[in-house]
Amino acid sequence: MSALLEVSDVSVAFDGFKAINHLSFSIGPAELRAVIGPNGAGKTTFMDIVTGKTRPDSGQVLWGEMSRSLTRMSEARIAREGIGRKFQRPTVFEDQSVEENLVMALKAQRGPLAAMFYRRNGEDMARVAELAREIRLETHLPRIAGELSHGQKQWLEIGMLLAQEPRLLLVDEPAAGMTPDERAHTTDILKEAARTRAVVVVEHDMEFVRRLDCRVTVLHEGSVLAEGSLDHVTANQRVIDVYLGR
Amino acid sequence: MTILMRRLLALVLVCAATMAPAQESADIQSILQENRALIEASSRRTIGPAIDALRESGLDRAPEVMRRWQERELYLREADGVFVFGEETDDGLRVIDIATGEVIGEGPDDGYEEMRPNAGIRGLIQAAMVQFRLQDENAAQRARALDAVARSPEPEHLDLLRTVILDEPDPALRARMERLERLLTVQFGQSDAERVAAIEGFRGDIAREVRAALTPVLATRRTVAPEDAPAEGNVARELEPGTDALPEAEAYQMLVSAGLAPERIDREARRAALVANIEDGEVGGIPVAELDDQEMRDRAYATLAQAGAVPPTTLEEDRADLMGGYAFRDIHIEPSAEVTDAAAATMESIELTLRLHQWLDLGLDALSLASIYFLAAIGLAITFGVMGVINMAHGEFIMLGAFTGWLVQLVVPNYTISIVVALPLAFVVAFAAGVALERLVIRHLYHRPLETLLATFGISIAIQQIVKNVFGSQAKPLTAPDWLAGSWVVNDIVSISFIRIAIFGLALVFLGLLLFILNRTRLGLEVRAVTQNPRMAASMGINPDRINMLTFGLGSGIAGIAGVAIGLFAQVTSELGQNYIVQSFMTVVVGGVGNIWGTLAGATLIGLLQKGIESANPSNTLAAQTYMILFVILFIQFRPRGIVALRGRAAEA
Amino acid sequence: MAQGFRERSFFARNPHVLIFLACLGVFTLAATLMSEAMGTGALSTSFTKILGQTLCLCLVAIAMDLVWGFCGILSLGHFAFFGLGGYMIGMWLMYERTRLIVEPSLAGAALPPTPQEISDAIAGQIFGVVGTSELPLVWSFAGSLPIQLALVVLVPGLLALVFGWLAFRSRVTGVYLSILTQAMTLALALYLFQNESGLRGNNGLSGLQNIPHAGGVSQAWISLWFLWGSALALALGYLLAAWIVSGKFGSVIRGIRDDETRVRFLGYPVEVYKLFVFTLTAVIAGIAGALYYPQAGIINPAELAPIASIYLAVWVAIGGRGRIWGAVLGAAAVSLVSNWFTGGGAPDIRLPGYTISWVNWWQVLLGLGFVLITIFAPKGLAGLVDLITQRRVPDRHGADAGPDQSALREAEEGR
Repeated sequence: MSALLEVSDVSVAFDGFKAINHLSFSIGPAELRAVIGPNGAGKTTFMDIVTGKTRPDSGQVLWGEMSRSLTRMSEARIAREGIGRKFQRPTVFEDQSVEENLVMALKAQRGPLAAMFYRRNGEDMARVAELAREIRLETHLPRIAGELSHGQKQWLEIGMLLAQEPRLLLVDEPAAGMTPDERAHTTDILKEAARTRAVVVVEHDMEFVRRLDCRVTVLHEGSVLAEGSLDHVTANQRVIDVYLGR
Repeated sequence: MTILMRRLLALVLVCAATMAPAQESADIQSILQENRALIEASSRRTIGPAIDALRESGLDRAPEVMRRWQERELYLREADGVFVFGEETDDGLRVIDIATGEVIGEGPDDGYEEMRPNAGIRGLIQAAMVQFRLQDENAAQRARALDAVARSPEPEHLDLLRTVILDEPDPALRARMERLERLLTVQFGQSDAERVAAIEGFRGDIAREVRAALTPVLATRRTVAPEDAPAEGNVARELEPGTDALPEAEAYQMLVSAGLAPERIDREARRAALVANIEDGEVGGIPVAELDDQEMRDRAYATLAQAGAVPPTTLEEDRADLMGGYAFRDIHIEPSAEVTDAAAATMESIELTLRLHQWLDLGLDALSLASIYFLAAIGLAITFGVMGVINMAHGEFIMLGAFTGWLVQLVVPNYTISIVVALPLAFVVAFAAGVALERLVIRHLYHRPLETLLATFGISIAIQQIVKNVFGSQAKPLTAPDWLAGSWVVNDIVSISFIRIAIFGLALVFLGLLLFILNRTRLGLEVRAVTQNPRMAASMGINPDRINMLTFGLGSGIAGIAGVAIGLFAQVTSELGQNYIVQSFMTVVVGGVGNIWGTLAGATLIGLLQKGIESANPSNTLAAQTYMILFVILFIQFRPRGIVALRGRAAEA
Repeated sequence: MAQGFRERSFFARNPHVLIFLACLGVFTLAATLMSEAMGTGALSTSFTKILGQTLCLCLVAIAMDLVWGFCGILSLGHFAFFGLGGYMIGMWLMYERTRLIVEPSLAGAALPPTPQEISDAIAGQIFGVVGTSELPLVWSFAGSLPIQLALVVLVPGLLALVFGWLAFRSRVTGVYLSILTQAMTLALALYLFQNESGLRGNNGLSGLQNIPHAGGVSQAWISLWFLWGSALALALGYLLAAWIVSGKFGSVIRGIRDDETRVRFLGYPVEVYKLFVFTLTAVIAGIAGALYYPQAGIINPAELAPIASIYLAVWVAIGGRGRIWGAVLGAAAVSLVSNWFTGGGAPDIRLPGYTISWVNWWQVLLGLGFVLITIFAPKGLAGLVDLITQRRVPDRHGADAGPDQSALREAEEGR
């Protein structure tokens, strides 16, 4: 199975502090992966590097069948290449309706002229309705996003992520602040998404990770400490020492 | 002989009557009498011994006699052959005794023969007088004489100086004399070798007098000659018409003056000539209606010129060809190439040194401008850097400081005391204004930086207008104490005024003070804590409100002090602050936010830049500011976070 | 619903457009009927001109609202673009009028004038005040109305394009960007203040109210023409702005205003959008200026000073950002009220010992009033209208709205 994303030997330092230290990581085209690690392990920086927010000091990030390098692309370009990201805090456009949020995220031409002459059509609105159903917001479409509850905002953001139809989803703590019921539903959405695309979930909550039932990568001090099933990594003594043991 | 005897006798009698001056009178009159033939002959070639005799007499009256002689006030009484002074009056001559200076008669000038020294003799007399003064017993007199020689050097002075140097007792004066001697040698030295040596001795000497001495040596005249003719004289350089050194029009005019080319008649004059020659609606066979085109007009003029109706001229395009056949040269008036080469080389080395000194002067200027910007901007840097608040009213705090200074001077007339009082008072006033602004406005707008910008702008126009309404719009004087009035002069090029030095000192003091406050005090610690993580700081018992208030007050207070400093040399008006606000922002942005060293770097860069650009184009300070702003805009491209940027995750998150 | 989807019409989705156009129409009609040209004379010619100018200010306020209220770029340079538009049209007005005076006088001369003589004579007339008589290079096309009209659009547009490209490319945002635009404006004003700029230095361009080839038309009618022209431009500008912000493009730029980073991660080229909006609004500002200055009659570099652009922001803030009609309301209200105060319309207040003359104190009132509005009524006059119509708009500065404070600071500081 050829990898969709291949991160090899990447390092980045902030003022001498090595946030990422010779990290290598790869994920296939339809795979669900959980990334765990203690605070400061470099989980968010790892996402920053993949999405182009932070430029690595050394190493390579290769993408897709053509193995194109992501390190020179802008954030927007990387997003258009098919990498979607959900932030730790829910960041939706609070001033706009749920519908507008979703329409904005829908996969389409991203240029200003295309956006200016864009007209809503049946196909797109059907897709929006379907997404809204999936994230349980179908009755909230005309509502202003700022009025939604925290969990609903999380879902809206996941919905926007799915609307982009990315080939790789990077999801940072999707279940934070959710009720158990909401969590279960989030798990379902992510598992469903991973049937057709790669999904990387960064999560603290072990219970949530267990429910995802997927390969787990443990980061520590900027590099991979262990990788395998959750049971496999939790059995690893070093993992226990640095993370679980605390 | 008998006459002489009689006169001596008479003199002795007078002498007895008038005591000591008479004694001298006898001597001065006798010296003149001894040289009477020479004086009356009045020839430059033979007069030497007469002047020497006067000069060497050492008599008190000798300078006076020489002065009067030179000014054609020396007369010979034909009756008895006695020399007297005479002053021309409306109805004749006022006769004065040469020894006592007393008027001894007035009346028609019959019987008095005026001594008429020619220009050559007057020059010699003058040189002799200079020598008198150079050998005066009073050192101040000698120094003044030296000044006079330096001001208008004459060839005769050279020998003179060489003689008096040996007797000069005062070492300082002697050094000056020696230097002057060398300067005179440059121009008037006997041999080329001597002059070259003197010239080369002045390498790298930027004193104005050296340049003044070298300039005549390098003087040239401009010549034109057919190109194939050999060059005559000591050629300084060949000139090409149409360059900066020799504009085309000037070159052509030289040809015209030399009779080598026809007079240049400009378009306007040609047009007038055409108008004067209109005949039957035609000029030179071309209908007037067709003359709305320069080419047709030129053709009509050429036709007229051929017919002899108008003077011939050349058209622009032909002139270049014509001038190509001639060589234009600058020829040194000084014939010796050896001397001019040495002078040119020395001049070049002087100019190099000069440029170095000019850079140094520029550097000092830039430094003082930088300290002003630093003072104006540092308060802004604190409020902007620490609190993320952009304060458009910062300029008005500067203005308030300046007005405080002015008001204090109204009450306290002593300028020194008033400045000493004004500085802390301005701080207090601006501090209070800043705290009020923070409490009343900015507190409501944290985390809405764009709105803070606009709201403080509203405050800014309100304060400005209030001050204008209350104090009027004319500029107020804020006078520096006398001890700050002068400047520190290093040499002819490098100088800096004491006010600027004081401002530089003030900037240094505040740099030190702020570094101390921020890095070494509890307040600084708390400020830094609030900057880095307000929530964490609050949870550790620091009251962010209080810190914000104090920080804002501190930044504003410094603006007030900057206002007093700026008011000392700028016009104190209600618009004072406006002139500094944009530069202050530039300084903060270029330097990097939230860092005193950054502000220092920014101020230095902006100051250097502005002075640098101004010196490149001194006539146009507006252009300098324009280019500086463009530079800043471009600079932001390459260092969006400024010179001293916070790096790392803290800066990114 | 899925297949049978039909979007409601633009006007149905944006009722304010029709309301605004109707108001503008009624206003224009009323002003026309009351104008001196129509013989009623209820409105003097000079006041008609002020009304026309106000319409132009409303147009530039719309541009400001697009770039600031919708896209979040607090540009302190849009009045400079406005001035540039004025300069471009002013060059033609001045050149053409001078030509029309100079040519007949030269035609009376003994020889018919050459083109060079005509150009020299015109230059002598125009540039006598700055001591030159040569036509600067920038005036090369001043004789051609179509080219100068094109320059009205091109000069502000290109300047905005180049400046915006530099600024947005290096991700300068927030107050930094504001300061940078202010610096640009200052540089431009300082440049124009120089005689070497070829635009008559601090004399500026004058006599612009005299429209060439309209010698027989009275100023009363000319003022009316310009009122109509300004009203038409305002209507078109309003339509364009409303159309732009109502669709997905509007969604994106409002997204950029609220959370630029998020928009970037959705794959939108944020810099291109900003550049687009910045340039487009600069062009609108240029057009507004080109209509304004023939009514004002004179333009000089002081008009372009940074403070004018800040006032522009103040109008929009007072009117209510993020709503096009809010910007129009603010610009119209503040400039008319300001005219009333500074024109001596407001009675002085006599206090014991001091008389408050509004000509002097109006600025103070404006400054303080503006501060109060910013603090207590961030939605401006539009918020007042909301109160009346009971429409609730979420406060986007609410407690947890948008990115939290540290993220905001990042956005402000740029990267």
